[in-house]
Amino acid sequence: MKQTACELRQVWVSYGKTPALRGVSLQVAQGELLGLFGHNGAGKSTLLRAVLGLVPVQSGEVLVDGVPVQKRDLPRLRQRIGYVPQMLRVDAGTPVSVRDVVMMGQYAQIGWGRLPSQGHKQRADRALEAMGVTHLADKPFGHLSGGEQQRVLLACALAQSPRLLLMDEPTSSVDWQFVRELAGLIREVHEANHLTTIVVSHDAPFLARLCDRVVLMEGGEILGDLPASSLLKRVEQESG
Amino acid sequence: MMWLTLWSEGFMQRALLATVLSGVTCSLIGVLIVTMRLSFIGVCISHAAFAGAILGLYLGVPPLGSSLVTSLLAAGLLGPLADRGNLSPDTAIGVMFSASLALAFLLLALLPGPKSEALVWLWGNVLTVSRESLWLLAATASAIALLVVLFFKELQAVIFHRDLAAASGLPATAIFYGVLICSGVAITASLSAIGGLLVFSMVVNPAATAYQLTYRLSWMFLLSTLFAILTGWVGLALSALFNLPSGAMVVLVSTTMLLTAITFSPKRRAGTGGIR
Ligand SMILES: Nc1ncnc2c1ncn2[C@@H]1O[C@H](COP(=O)(O)OP(=O)(O)OP(=O)(O)O)[C@@H](O)[C@H]1O
Ligand SMILES: [Mg+2]
Repeated sequence: MKQTACELRQVWVSYGKTPALRGVSLQVAQGELLGLFGHNGAGKSTLLRAVLGLVPVQSGEVLVDGVPVQKRDLPRLRQRIGYVPQMLRVDAGTPVSVRDVVMMGQYAQIGWGRLPSQGHKQRADRALEAMGVTHLADKPFGHLSGGEQQRVLLACALAQSPRLLLMDEPTSSVDWQFVRELAGLIREVHEANHLTTIVVSHDAPFLARLCDRVVLMEGGEILGDLPASSLLKRVEQESG
Repeated sequence: MMWLTLWSEGFMQRALLATVLSGVTCSLIGVLIVTMRLSFIGVCISHAAFAGAILGLYLGVPPLGSSLVTSLLAAGLLGPLADRGNLSPDTAIGVMFSASLALAFLLLALLPGPKSEALVWLWGNVLTVSRESLWLLAATASAIALLVVLFFKELQAVIFHRDLAAASGLPATAIFYGVLICSGVAITASLSAIGGLLVFSMVVNPAATAYQLTYRLSWMFLLSTLFAILTGWVGLALSALFNLPSGAMVVLVSTTMLLTAITFSPKRRAGTGGIR
């Protein structure tokens, strides 16, 4: 049996009084490419944020590599988790370039008071190239379109050389052509770097094409696992 | 020429030094405050600092110390409010802002004897800045410049997006509060030169001007500092030549510069800038 890279045990998270995760348990095996599928407000983003320790877990446990995550381990742990958030609201005038953004993922690893090495810069360049945004490198991030921003954020996560990659709606604003490309790309990155990857998406065909396994979420609970092939069937049944 | 002979006077050199040092201190902090959208907190901190100074005079403790305490208190109270993105902090800040001013004016009225010392904290006076204040300003300016250089990339990540910075393993919350604390210290240190009413424009104007002109953070720090020095120099010269209050002149000059920058801003022409 494969080792679990990431596990949630009866995790409860709430914002104020309303729970967003109601006792979620989930195991993600080492090297697995897992899809999280569910309606708006199902708690998908919250689940990713719980893995990162960005939301307080009220009860239950989050384990990474079989070890329960402690608060003091979080900074080190996060350095090895690539996170592509759902949506960033950034002012158009923000004085940060695309290259700056891609470098940022590595800043915690570099440590304060130190300049990025040649290696760090090369990693950023490779990530920019992999995402097809090298030509945008010197633009202000705020000037990019939604899809371009998403590619850059993905490049940022990749440059971090993560072991665990968490992606929140990576297809939400990229064009259909890049969606097809993106599935291939994520697969490639996932396999080449021996990653464990969780992808949240509304896009059923995308998840079906991409993932080894898809988990359905609803109302803060996990309804169950579906093999990717039966996901499409289920979506078809639902829609008609 | 008067412009040249002016600077050979000892007190003018001291005044220039005070203006430049407080300008550098405030303008560096200003870049962080403007890019992290903390302007409203900056306003509160400056008025709390002023109230603290008056409180110190009233209680007979060193005003600089008491003003540091109250400004840090304001930063500590407002930080969590700004932290919680879903709650609009407007009301709390409005209340705090006017309460600290009211307290300051009340204490001002209660102070026995002539009020000239107290009024310095309100208007500031670069001509009467003490040697200790100058040293404090110099130390604060260097410390903040050093922190900006040491933590440049971390600050940049937090400016870009606090949440993403935290997710990548940076102590984003600590950095955020560090910025608030530095703001309190910088504002307090500049208080005796610039005064509680005007210090906030010294913080925001040069940074907001620089924000109009560049998309690079490093340039923003440099330009902001440069503008602060320039406006300090011009404002001081004008005030000496026409015998006008120095703080007011410096602020008016920097406001003029900001308006000019907004008018000719490449960002505004690209439809992406504008004052915030
Ligand atoms: N910061 C917040 N404050 C309060 N409630 C929140 C917050 N973030 C999420 N929620 C609530 O928690 C629940 C789950 O939210 P979450 O963002 O995890 O859903 P999601 O499955 O990612 O939805 P979507 O598909 O729309 O992204 C929702 O009901 C939402 O209203
Ligand atoms: Mg979501």
